[in-house]
Amino acid sequence: MASFFNRMRSSAGPSSQSSGLSPAKKDPNALQITPLEKFLLDAPPGPLREDGSDKFWGLENFGNTCYCNSILQCLYYSVPFREQVINYPKRTPLEAVTTTSTGQSRIDPNATILPPNHPSLTPARLVKQQPQGPSSARTAGGPTTTPKPEDKEHPEYKKRVAQARGPTISMTHDNTAAYGMPESLFTSLKDIFEALLAHKSNVGVVSPNKFLEVLKRENEMFRSAMHQDAHEFLNLLLNEVVANVEAHSKTLVDEEEERQKGMNCSVDKTEFEQALASAMPKVAPGNTGWVHELFEGTLTSETKCLTCENVSQRDEAFLDLSVDLDEHSSVTACLRKFSEEEMLCERNKFHCDRCGGLQEAEKRMKVKRLPKILALHLKRFKYTEDLQRLQKLFHRVVYPYHLRLFNTTDDAEDPDRLYELYAVVVHIGGGPYHGHYISIIKTQDRGWLLFDDEMVEPVDKSYVQNFFGDRPGLACAYVLFYQETILEAVKREQDAESLAAAAKAAAEVSKEPVGLGLKTNGFMNGIHHVKSVVTPATPTTEETNGYTSLDKVVTETSPLVEPPPQSPNEVTALPQIPASEMPTEDVKSKKERAKEEKERRAIARISARQEEKAEKERRKNLENKRKEMSKKADEDTRAAIEASKASKVEEDHRVAFENGTREAPKEGHSGPLGGLSRLKSTSKSFRKPRIFSREAGREEPVADADEDVASPTGQENAERPERSRHRFSGLRKRGSNMKLL
Amino acid sequence: MFVLPPPPRYPVSQPTSSPNGVPVQNPLVEMSNVLTHPSGSEYQLSVGEGTYFLQDNLHLATPPPHPQDAPVTNPNPLATTPAPPKAGIKLSMCITSPRKSIPSLYRQAAPSTGSNLGTYSIKEHEKESRSSHDTSSDGATAQFASSSTSGRTPIFGEDNSALTPIAGKEGVKRKKPKTSLVKSNSQFISRVIPHDQLSKRLQEHNAEGIFVFANIDRAYQWLDLSSPAPARAQPLMKILFAKAHMLCHDINAFTKGPSHIDVIMGASTGDIVWFEAYSQKYVRVNKNNIISPSAISSIRWLPGSENLFLASHMDGTLIVYDKERDDAAFVPETHSTPPNTHIPNGNGTTTDTDPHPLHINKSVNSKNQKSNPVASWKISNHRILAFAFSPDNRNLAVVSEDGSLRLINYLKEQLTDLYTSYYGAFTCVTFSPDGKYVLTGGQDDLVSIWSIVERRIVARCPGHYSWVTAVAFDPWRCDNRNYRFGSVGEDRRLLLWDFNVGMLRRPKAASIRNRDRASISSCAPISRNRTESTQVPVGRLRSTSSLSEGPVGEDELIEHEVESRTVTATLPPVMSKVIDEHPLSWVGFEEECIVTACGEGHVRVWRRPVDVVGAGDG
Repeated sequence: MASFFNRMRSSAGPSSQSSGLSPAKKDPNALQITPLEKFLLDAPPGPLREDGSDKFWGLENFGNTCYCNSILQCLYYSVPFREQVINYPKRTPLEAVTTTSTGQSRIDPNATILPPNHPSLTPARLVKQQPQGPSSARTAGGPTTTPKPEDKEHPEYKKRVAQARGPTISMTHDNTAAYGMPESLFTSLKDIFEALLAHKSNVGVVSPNKFLEVLKRENEMFRSAMHQDAHEFLNLLLNEVVANVEAHSKTLVDEEEERQKGMNCSVDKTEFEQALASAMPKVAPGNTGWVHELFEGTLTSETKCLTCENVSQRDEAFLDLSVDLDEHSSVTACLRKFSEEEMLCERNKFHCDRCGGLQEAEKRMKVKRLPKILALHLKRFKYTEDLQRLQKLFHRVVYPYHLRLFNTTDDAEDPDRLYELYAVVVHIGGGPYHGHYISIIKTQDRGWLLFDDEMVEPVDKSYVQNFFGDRPGLACAYVLFYQETILEAVKREQDAESLAAAAKAAAEVSKEPVGLGLKTNGFMNGIHHVKSVVTPATPTTEETNGYTSLDKVVTETSPLVEPPPQSPNEVTALPQIPASEMPTEDVKSKKERAKEEKERRAIARISARQEEKAEKERRKNLENKRKEMSKKADEDTRAAIEASKASKVEEDHRVAFENGTREAPKEGHSGPLGGLSRLKSTSKSFRKPRIFSREAGREEPVADADEDVASPTGQENAERPERSRHRFSGLRKRGSNMKLL
Repeated sequence: MFVLPPPPRYPVSQPTSSPNGVPVQNPLVEMSNVLTHPSGSEYQLSVGEGTYFLQDNLHLATPPPHPQDAPVTNPNPLATTPAPPKAGIKLSMCITSPRKSIPSLYRQAAPSTGSNLGTYSIKEHEKESRSSHDTSSDGATAQFASSSTSGRTPIFGEDNSALTPIAGKEGVKRKKPKTSLVKSNSQFISRVIPHDQLSKRLQEHNAEGIFVFANIDRAYQWLDLSSPAPARAQPLMKILFAKAHMLCHDINAFTKGPSHIDVIMGASTGDIVWFEAYSQKYVRVNKNNIISPSAISSIRWLPGSENLFLASHMDGTLIVYDKERDDAAFVPETHSTPPNTHIPNGNGTTTDTDPHPLHINKSVNSKNQKSNPVASWKISNHRILAFAFSPDNRNLAVVSEDGSLRLINYLKEQLTDLYTSYYGAFTCVTFSPDGKYVLTGGQDDLVSIWSIVERRIVARCPGHYSWVTAVAFDPWRCDNRNYRFGSVGEDRRLLLWDFNVGMLRRPKAASIRNRDRASISSCAPISRNRTESTQVPVGRLRSTSSLSEGPVGEDELIEHEVESRTVTATLPPVMSKVIDEHPLSWVGFEEECIVTACGEGHVRVWRRPVDVVGAGDG
């Protein structure tokens, strides 16, 4: 074994880097650079962002903790959730994250990726982690049971490489003092998020020791090293976060009263903090309902007594929807079925208030208030009477990239709300008691990534739809995360994807003659590697050297490409290509992407009318502009090249400046955008109307689920009595007289 | 629906990498098709007009992988290597008899069942041209004859003198391709297996019987559904390709005859094959991907054209090819805005504010028509999944993965309408026989009906339990007020629908009927607003080359909003039934039967109710 790796390293040459995307090729030096690093290098991420959207870290598996890892990753990339976690109770100063209370340095934010022949990359280290339970599941689909450890396509190998390459953060400490909160799942979650944000590396591996410790300490059922249910964990975590935050805010309110200060709770803000605060959306310390606001929706169960025809309604809140599956169905159909009428009869009769007795009744559940983030749990684990245990269903259930809900009530607000799929938790394995979880997540500007414990790998968009359940390999989507969006944002994104693809192709062509060392044959090799994502191409100062040629093309047209200011939908910004250089796509699409991020964060129901008007005007303007520009396209080309040189210098300066001061606004890398400020303010106003619905969600909790009105989880409870304890605590909150509209 | 894009290049790694012992099978050992006749109530479809019975259940054999191309079976479900491309079976059907050769779309123009009040000029013209072609013993100039006889429907590219002579100078006989399939030693084709008694079977073929062409995996089969039972299962000819999987194909309804069937096929590798069935000869187009390397999702002959066909490539390009023309390396002609993709340093790039334009890489009016392509249009960078020609030969409906339905006046090369799905991709599209409506099916589990005339969505049809994969009208049960169509989906269901113009003209009433109660009334004003706003042109189509002075109004691009489902009519199916064990991939209607196909190779023929057949046979 050792000799194998030694040989590998000794033969490392410049060409070895080309193995990044196609490690299966004869080149044995895949260790040199992981696909993710390669992917990131192809489009350098620019200065570090404050919002953590450019961090792609794996999570260490401590033995069957993949349920935790997969969910944590999904939550980290639930942008509003991450923001709220980081900003609650207030943004922690960087030093607090990176140093212990005793002043010791906890993690080295400057730790860099280990050079390939770093001592830690010893073969021993690489083999250290023997494939555990999961591996059997992974290979169960094929006859090969024990893949050779040096099989570079094998996930275990990739994980060891990721682990070995580092950097790694071991989350053994807690930072509760800085948050002013007692240690809880929330604080350890926040610790992880903060540590990621503070670290300078884009990639690495986090060991969530503390988090698991707290989890296991406080929850008996997760204490064993057994395989756990990811959905149950998600539900538990969300409820815990709610509880932790609410408990904290209660103490905070008490303190606040004493202090009687209308100002921000943090009096001792440093300049840096203030800069940060201005860059981040502010969260009032008292705002504890954000988990509700994000994940919670309202279900209405209408029960019609068949005796007296009386219809009674009852609202209940949900944090996720668990849907039963049918063979060869779609998520849409499963949701429809969820809301189908159901007879309450025989042992399951309904207690009618009017008739005053148990009666037969018809019941149906509809969604009354749609959540911002719709977590859909596909009930793949079903209790079978014959076997007296849970069994995994391998039904083929298709899920689209976008979704609307058909099963809303007539008075639902925005019944046509559009959702986009952004994360999928996949269960791999033959049954519910063992197996492996991974997640596939759409990142803000890096497209879809596969998170498999320590390993993070870019995947093609179409990869997301490989887990309908009918493919060999026992891998099925288990939890789907959809987030609210609007059609304009989707269109924009699609355009951006198009352009990115085009730009990528063009960039390939333009890069080729330059002969960059990092040019790989991966691109030639399969379209699945051509990422359908926008590639932020603004160079960081460190990387400028390697990418001079790219820098030039990227920046040269930037002075010409002015994003239309004040336009919330940037559609127009897009093909405004003044000159012939293809890579300009990079700049534009990136800007677009930036805007879109903004926009999506601000997701809003804008009056369609207004938009249209604005759009029309904008189009008119741009039409004129375009005409002018096309006239002097040739001059522009020349001018562009000139300008590019100047602008490159400028850009470099700017980047250097930003890096130095670390005060760059989040979107700073995308260049000055006139429209941003306006977008921000609108986004706030968009948020407003949601606040009261949150209040609604926090109505008095009713003690327990009624027996007569089977909750959507009623069956679930029956199926898994031993596990139902933690589930759906969110569901217990209900208000019978809610008026949402 | 295509599971994965085909890899542009196949992995060089050889069979050694199938360690788990999927044995590399000998291609000579091949399963044959199996014909069964299951009966029972689960093989019957009960609709208003009677009961359809399953007549034939033909299971097409899936060929073993090509020895040089054995797929690497990867036990790792997380492997990021692309799976080999896979498309469900699609069928192309034709009846060669001149009397019956009228393609179903036009059939309705003179339905024998009576009730044909409005026959459309287009169709009369079609009948004319067809009969002229029959009598003139396959004059190759029929296409142009028809264009001259028709004052109303212009022929694609007729204004371009560069296009005319090539087609016109040919002889009297239909042109056949040059290369013999059987004798070919092309690496592209792995094996060709004609039936032992091919000529005998062809002689015995009932001219009114249905020929079926079907793709399954890397095989392509030619079947005769009218052969007697045991032989029926056996293909007249089976072609096995080496690497390419045929994903789509079409029969030229214009040139087909008792001794001539032109088939065009598009492959996962981007290759195109023109295949003439009787002579068993073929010609390759876009050989070595000289014009486009992208896989082909849909391919069709231009209606009324002998030589021209349109292929939709998965990179979002529509390309018109001429089967008679040689290929040449293609550089987009720059008289209009290039799509930013093909030429890295293309000059003349103008700015454009419209994100959804129709980029004309090469216009049909280009003077350079020495070689293919005849025309090339880039509609987006998203995968085109299907397209359909309107019966009046003017419009093209194109659906893509991004959930867009585009209507393109292909004669003028202009994009006129852009609709968006309720959500998810559109997977299939078809025109109604009279050209007034377009049907789409998609990943929202809906069939949507769009009115061409009113330029809006007419109804959404919920009923499928999963994605819709194919939609088709039943022209034998359509008149100009009532329409029958069928749809199949991943839920293994065949759904039949009846819709009626009168009902659809009143979407609000319909919506009240279908949606419930008071909420609708509050939504009504919104509905009006929306309809108005759809009439407001949101963005003008960028003027295109020679057509830049195109008139306003009709040619103006309208980007349609997505209508809320609270205001859109819904239509319930008249029949819904699980008819297969596998997700379905195709549905088609013939005079005597409905034909369905699933992804695993089952072709099922559903005989129409007997009492109605009498009328049809007359």
